[in-house]
Amino acid sequence: MIMWQKMKALSVLLLLLLILLVVGCSSNDTAGEQEENIDGEDMELKDPGEVGYPEEITYWTELNASVAQTSQTLNDVGVYQELEKITGTKVDFKHPSGEGTDITEQFNLMIASGQLPDVIEYNWRTVPNGPDQAIESGTIIRLNELIENYAPNLNRYLNENPEVKKMVTTDAGNMYSFPFLRGDEKLMVFMGMMIRQDWLDELDLEKPSTISEWEEVLTAFKNTDFNGNGEQDVIPLLVQPDDIKNIGPFLGAYGIHAQFYNDNGTVKYGSIQPEFKEFLTTMNKWYEDGLLDPDFAAIDTTLLDAKVTNNQLGSLFGYTGGGIGKYMGLMQDRDPEFSLAPTAHPSLKEGEKAATAQRAHPYEGFHSVAISGLAENPEEIVKWLDYAYSEEGHMLFNFGIEGESYDMIDGYPTYSEEITNNPDGLPMSDALGKYIRASYGGPLVQDVRYVEQYLELPEQQEAVEIWGETAENEINMPPTTLNADESEEYSSIMSDLDTYYDEMLVRFIMGEEPLGHFDNFVETLKGMGIERAIELQQAALDRYMER
Amino acid sequence: MRKTKQEAPTFQANSKSSLREKMANFNEKVKKDFKRNKIIYLMVSPVVLYYIVFQYGPMYGLQIAFKDYSPVLGFLGSPWVGFDHFKEFFNSFFFWRLLKNTIILSFYSLIFAFPAGIILALLLNEVRSKMFKRTVQTVTYMPHFISLVVIVGILFDFTARDGVINDILGFLFGIEPIAFMQQAEWFRTLFIGSDIWQNVGWSSIIFLAAMSNIDTALYEAAKMDGAGRFKQMFHITLPGIMPTVVILLILLIGKFMTVGEEKILLMYNPTTYETADVIGTYVYRKGILESNFSYSAAVGLFKAIIAFTLLVIANGIARKVGDTKLW
Repeated sequence: MIMWQKMKALSVLLLLLLILLVVGCSSNDTAGEQEENIDGEDMELKDPGEVGYPEEITYWTELNASVAQTSQTLNDVGVYQELEKITGTKVDFKHPSGEGTDITEQFNLMIASGQLPDVIEYNWRTVPNGPDQAIESGTIIRLNELIENYAPNLNRYLNENPEVKKMVTTDAGNMYSFPFLRGDEKLMVFMGMMIRQDWLDELDLEKPSTISEWEEVLTAFKNTDFNGNGEQDVIPLLVQPDDIKNIGPFLGAYGIHAQFYNDNGTVKYGSIQPEFKEFLTTMNKWYEDGLLDPDFAAIDTTLLDAKVTNNQLGSLFGYTGGGIGKYMGLMQDRDPEFSLAPTAHPSLKEGEKAATAQRAHPYEGFHSVAISGLAENPEEIVKWLDYAYSEEGHMLFNFGIEGESYDMIDGYPTYSEEITNNPDGLPMSDALGKYIRASYGGPLVQDVRYVEQYLELPEQQEAVEIWGETAENEINMPPTTLNADESEEYSSIMSDLDTYYDEMLVRFIMGEEPLGHFDNFVETLKGMGIERAIELQQAALDRYMER
Repeated sequence: MRKTKQEAPTFQANSKSSLREKMANFNEKVKKDFKRNKIIYLMVSPVVLYYIVFQYGPMYGLQIAFKDYSPVLGFLGSPWVGFDHFKEFFNSFFFWRLLKNTIILSFYSLIFAFPAGIILALLLNEVRSKMFKRTVQTVTYMPHFISLVVIVGILFDFTARDGVINDILGFLFGIEPIAFMQQAEWFRTLFIGSDIWQNVGWSSIIFLAAMSNIDTALYEAAKMDGAGRFKQMFHITLPGIMPTVVILLILLIGKFMTVGEEKILLMYNPTTYETADVIGTYVYRKGILESNFSYSAAVGLFKAIIAFTLLVIANGIARKVGDTKLW
């Protein structure tokens, strides 16, 4: 018995020892990494003439769905094969799997693990605690000096476009990424309302522009049996809660944005304004009348595609490319009559413009490329990344390989048959994904000549024009950044608030929460700290204006 | 137990040299024992290693629940904040809702899903046709082997507006299609219902095994005394499997607060948060998606403490009431 007791004691001791060993090893590791970080920051600048392209780099980035159709990694894509021939740099791409929150999850875990590749492509503008904090903690490095010395092409572009330079620099004056920049106004408008033109023609109706005209048209859709199956199964309208919240279809007519907006220098939160209640009243009525899709709160791409291609859906809020282009292409053979046309952003009165609608900034943060604190040769990496902003690099990233994916015709880079009429039957977006990066974003300046050819249908060309014209967009927030402390406080307020908001938005529209409770909703938001969040946004806006 | 208490003071009172002696003595004994039972030690080592690496090792990281953890500063370097994260959680807008949802879902699965396996086992036990019994068993435990993702996919398809369930309801009773997956009040029913469907066959296996251990002489004696099949079931079968039931119940209570978060993550959306959002899913959103690791570690620890307390209480009750217990 005594021996047993001792055995027990010993085994516990051994166990503890083992744990301590494991723990000791792992904490040593982190200490080692930190030292390396500090070393990296103290580096002296090398002579630009001596810096070549790196031999190899590791590069973490999401694999876009249009690329995944044809390739396993970006190494298989035309632009990177050509780039390797030019620079001699071998790139080891690391692609997170999945999409949406899967990517967020893997990004956060990678940052937490401290095992960072040389180059990380992500939306660095909106990372938790902000880009300044990421630089301060050594996750990524400050690029101002490096860009000035080793990235002549990007440097030139930023100096020629001071407004853009303002956007890619934080309030603390840090540059943190090689940005994805939209090089032309036409590239910034790509979402809006679209409607079945053939159904309008059948009913002899004009395209709606005001809210009341919309109601008439939607009601008429509801009561017509377009697909002739004897059932009343037309869904007149689909707008998704996320779009209402972040962009504002129909909401723009009421003069506000659902989230934070800039009312002549004063930040306001749209969803606590009385106008938001009016908007909800309309939406609720449309829902009750069966005009708004009852599934609007839980829709995915597959379901949406099915509704459009089964001739059920009358109008929706969507993309020029992924909406009009995609569905016109899909329906070409099945239903030659099918026509999805863009309509003006809805307004309250005839001739008015919507206060806000989708309109991207030249720089928003998506696909920005930062260099990790663990990278050993940042100068060389900077030089490699800068290639995309040079003249030849610009052509390569936007149009691919001359003679393969495009030909110069009268000085205009024209996509070849391989892209526009792919022999393997690939849609244009997938064919582009096989060669270039400009079609979905990356560290480059997007060329307007890409979109001119990508939007091949007259409806798409019209969409860019009509959606650009019919909204003021004066109240949109510029791409501000919060500093580290603010960002921590802001996200701790907004994460619970957004959860509550998302629920209530849907419940109000579905009528599960009577609109009489709108005041309670506003009070609850205030109780959760919306006013403090507005203050933080105001401070960020003020600083942005002073940049 | 009593022996250690007597041993301890003498052990401490000993001088250093005799302690060393004892240690040497002890070491020798360990060595001897090790030599003799090499194979047994070898066999048990993977299990011990598993617990050290995957269960005890990570506990070291629990300290971040009391710190403001930043990956760059590491576990040791991050500053202490005491109970701040716990306070923040207790004062959070969603605290009561999360707690309520977690407890209700756990409770429902305890009172609906757990007995389902026992009932199925009892029914199967009474079946005389072997063919029929085997077929039923195979059919009911098959869904257990289907991946959860697929199960939830099937659930979405069946409960869609134009899915089978709505078609049947509409055809038989003329009910308007119900968007099951988007209505908070349906969530619990769907969650528990599909859980029973998936796992009832599997969980009945262990009870069937327990039943096969009951002495057949008891049944014969009961028959002689004129007990019908119902009486046999209530007075022989049920008491016979009771120890198994109690142990399983205690184990289940230990997992009380863990309600199958993966499945909820697959099933819920903002319209059903009202009833579907539980502590586990909240931890996932806070920790992994917003990279607020310290806060979510605190919330997770809170959950674990409740579960541990419940386990101790349940074991205590079982100990008092009968003699089946975990320890």
